Amino acid sequence: MSSQDNSQLVSQIEELSGQRVSDCYQCGCCTAGCPVGELMDPPPSRAIRLLQLGRAQELLASEGIWVCASCLVCGTRCPRNVDYAKIAEACRALILRAKRSQVDPDVVDDQDLQDVPQQAFIASFRKFSV
Amino acid sequence: MKRRIGVFVCHCGINIAGVVKVPELVERAKNIPGVVTALDYVYCCSDPGQRLIRETIQKERLEGIVVACCSPNLHEATFRKAAAEAGLNPYLCEIANIREQCSWVTSDRDAATEKAEGIVRTMVAKVSHDQPLVRLGVPIVKRALVVGAGIAGIQAALDIANAGYEVVLVEKEPSIGGHMAQLSETFPTLDCSQCILTPKTVEAGRHPKIRLLTYSEVAEVSGFVGNFRVKIRQKPRYVDLDACTGCGICLEKCPVRVESVFDRNLTRRRAIYRLFPQAVPNKVVIDAQHCRQLQGKKCGVCAKVCPAQAIRYDDQERIVEEEVGAIVLATGYELFDSRRLGAYGLGVVPDVIDSLAFERILSASGPFAGEVRRPSDGRVPKRVVFVQCAGSRDSNQGVPYCSKICCMYTAKHALLYRHRVHDGEAVVCYIDVRTPGKGFEEFYRRATDEGVQYLRGKVSKIFRRGDRVVVWAADTLAGKKLEIEADMVVLASAVVPNPDGVALARRLKIPVDGWGFLSEAHPKLRPVETLTAGFFLCGCGQGPKDIPETVAQASGAAAKVLAMFGQSELYHEPVTAVVDEEICVGCGNCERTCAYEAVRVDPHRGKAVVQAVMCEGCGACSVACPAGAINLKNFTKQSLTEMVDV
Amino acid sequence: MKYPYYPGCTLYSKARNLDRCGRLAAARAGFELEELPSWNCCGAIYNTNTDDLAAQVGPVRVLAKASQQGRRLVTLCAACYNVLKRANERLHATGFEQDRQRILEFVDEPFEQDVEVVHYLEVLKELGWDAIRQRVVRSLNGLKVASYYGCLMVRPREVLKFDDPENPVVMDELMATLGGEPVRFDFKAECCGGYLVINRRAVADACSLRVVENARTWGAEAIVTTCPLCQYNLESAQLRRGTVLTPVFYFTQILGLALGLEPAELGFEDNKLDPVPFLKEKGLL
Repeated sequence: MSSQDNSQLVSQIEELSGQRVSDCYQCGCCTAGCPVGELMDPPPSRAIRLLQLGRAQELLASEGIWVCASCLVCGTRCPRNVDYAKIAEACRALILRAKRSQVDPDVVDDQDLQDVPQQAFIASFRKFSV
Repeated sequence: MKRRIGVFVCHCGINIAGVVKVPELVERAKNIPGVVTALDYVYCCSDPGQRLIRETIQKERLEGIVVACCSPNLHEATFRKAAAEAGLNPYLCEIANIREQCSWVTSDRDAATEKAEGIVRTMVAKVSHDQPLVRLGVPIVKRALVVGAGIAGIQAALDIANAGYEVVLVEKEPSIGGHMAQLSETFPTLDCSQCILTPKTVEAGRHPKIRLLTYSEVAEVSGFVGNFRVKIRQKPRYVDLDACTGCGICLEKCPVRVESVFDRNLTRRRAIYRLFPQAVPNKVVIDAQHCRQLQGKKCGVCAKVCPAQAIRYDDQERIVEEEVGAIVLATGYELFDSRRLGAYGLGVVPDVIDSLAFERILSASGPFAGEVRRPSDGRVPKRVVFVQCAGSRDSNQGVPYCSKICCMYTAKHALLYRHRVHDGEAVVCYIDVRTPGKGFEEFYRRATDEGVQYLRGKVSKIFRRGDRVVVWAADTLAGKKLEIEADMVVLASAVVPNPDGVALARRLKIPVDGWGFLSEAHPKLRPVETLTAGFFLCGCGQGPKDIPETVAQASGAAAKVLAMFGQSELYHEPVTAVVDEEICVGCGNCERTCAYEAVRVDPHRGKAVVQAVMCEGCGACSVACPAGAINLKNFTKQSLTEMVDV
Repeated sequence: MKYPYYPGCTLYSKARNLDRCGRLAAARAGFELEELPSWNCCGAIYNTNTDDLAAQVGPVRVLAKASQQGRRLVTLCAACYNVLKRANERLHATGFEQDRQRILEFVDEPFEQDVEVVHYLEVLKELGWDAIRQRVVRSLNGLKVASYYGCLMVRPREVLKFDDPENPVVMDELMATLGGEPVRFDFKAECCGGYLVINRRAVADACSLRVVENARTWGAEAIVTTCPLCQYNLESAQLRRGTVLTPVFYFTQILGLALGLEPAELGFEDNKLDPVPFLKEKGLL
């Protein structure tokens, strides 16, 4: 992918999320406070760094954007008022809108269907599937 | 008869000439009625430029000049002086600001030239009406008031006093020394803070030229530069300062114990107390809020045991009045209350403390006599995490600016901790390490060389797990979230201006920035003056700074005061308001409008009277007067009308 | 006092107990919840993409419905509260006027007035803790309760303005009112793992267990929640780990208990961790 396409992608992500990646000064507070930060690859601050460097495609191809639980702790404590949850949501939208689901509603475990509150199903499908 | 007016257009290199078409402007200026000559020069402020102006004034017998150049803030004084040297009254020289107000803010050359002509026309109209004025001479009271007796205020007071002038040094705490008295050792040399401070406090305390007023606050300032009247409120100390010998017997016998603010609540002091053993003055004070006797209960123990009979339960607040010519504000700082950073657990998670508390722990006169122990259980912590930027550089929950001193004192904290706990692990979580000072980078290197671990990442959360403190941090260089279990956490809380200092500045109408730091008159060239004549500033009340910088700034402020005291009298700008008593009906609008208390309605005659030396020439009264009875000299209504009608 | 009430989907099935205790306790506390007629799902999660207007239609229709019933809409489920309040805020945001029109074209219900979305806890606080205290018939007797708010009650802070986002206290105040001893802890508003339980169960469990462990560190004997998903995650993570430590309740169950609802009305049979033995041991049943 050309650097021009990549920079267009970054602009698209910025527009969709309403966030400016240049606001981030890479303190890492979002990564430090992320409840799933150990497992998120790249973690939030790295993900924003990729966008600052124009490497949007790399982020879209990553696993990290699918690990976010939208708890919004990152944005609440960000000293520069950047909301990474919105950026991750925008990245996911770009992929989901290309019809590439990450969670398949047809293969949900029966027992789970009995147990887990439907709130979780709707949220999960809305975040992770087409 | 029209005045003979000359116009001088400055190129200011390309600052003006790069945008405004100077030759065209000169030609247009020549056509303005009254203008007998118009010239241009590449740098009018240079010696040859000034010479050109002087010679032209004399050759053309000019009766008024307009210099079209940069802001009058910069060179009005230069050109008025040149005019005066050529025999023209300096108030008949006006500046047309075609740089800041034209060339710098316009890119279209034609439009810029058009606008520049308009500005020049306006000033020609003004100078046609200007009257020759003479500066007002004002006598100076050669005594200074210094507000705040931390290291900044002490240094300023000593410098002024050692030059032979009297100083009134006011401190709101019961003794002097400020925050420096709380510190353990100082970076980057690790000398003991108390040891280098006490010679200064002792000298200030017994200096024959310094009147020390502790436990006191400035209540009111009136008057003007060179002639201030100050009312100082002395809080009741309930102890006779002359009688008290500082023997300390009362300190042992008082039955009340309250948390010591000086020790950041890590120890308890008595209701009668002194801040620390080397206090100046070494006299006790009674905390009325907690004293049993003063709260109406039965006690009186201190009075019974005092061998000097110095206790005065009936002590009252006193107002001390002083006359001074200059005021130095050294109102200092406080630490940002990091309890506001809810995720950091300060005040609720045990063994999370702020940096001043850690200074007390490190201090030989602190809660553990200099041994590093945890406040919760007195155990020696084996791993301490130092959290930098607790509130600093945080536009969300803290303050947006860098507090400047934390990188260095955190390196010092980590180093001192390692010196005292040899098998202890010191971890510093930082965003950037900033070491722009003499010996600072070397000191930081020393900390890393001696085993302090630096992790680049801002801490997000601090919480309790059993009897340990867990820190959620990050290593942004490795791109990883980290969980660190520690025994103690020290927050490098942001530096904020002392709130009492901010309140005082607001009362005195001294400008402060958005965070309450005192604003200097010019950020580069007038760093120790305020915009209000006669008020000077130094120390952390102006912005975060370390001890050497504070001391240097304090001496700078003192030098400014001394430069003023070295003059026989002060001069005041003559552009002041004048009342036409024929028209004035004494309604008092002007008096209510004036920010400088320079206009009063004489109650007997019912006429407004302007005290010229207090008038700053802002013109507000002139606008407020319904009868049009007040005019500002050289800004008369007629003059203003013609200035806008060009 | 009668309030329009939006229960939401989960409260109609898997979180019946949250809903039923809420309604019955309301009656005891002196107010009534009047369910909106023919409501629809709020969407369960808020979509933050600036161009995603379709996701707004559902919650906006709920708000329109509510506007026909009254000025305020009471919610009980933390997720519904979060989604409806955010959708409402966005609907009135400046710069959003054109999008607002486009959304309203898809909403079949007219707006009668502006609506304020409030949470049940806010209604209680308005009633006044003293008023509620007077109606307590079974004091919690010093039960050490950790109030767990999770994410959805407090974030985003600038929209929800619910309480201190790092240390919310409304539920703690309620527990104190009911005779309990509120336990402050560090994970009041940390994430339980949320919907990651569907496809990243271990991650969600780790989040939930941290919450429970921290509450225990601070001495909590029980935890109360406002959210069906928090409730489920906190309970099932403990079950899956095998060592069950701390019972978890909907706050309305504890409220109902204190206000004297019958045990059969409290819906403990729907709790994954049977809390009955614990309550008996504490002398509360």
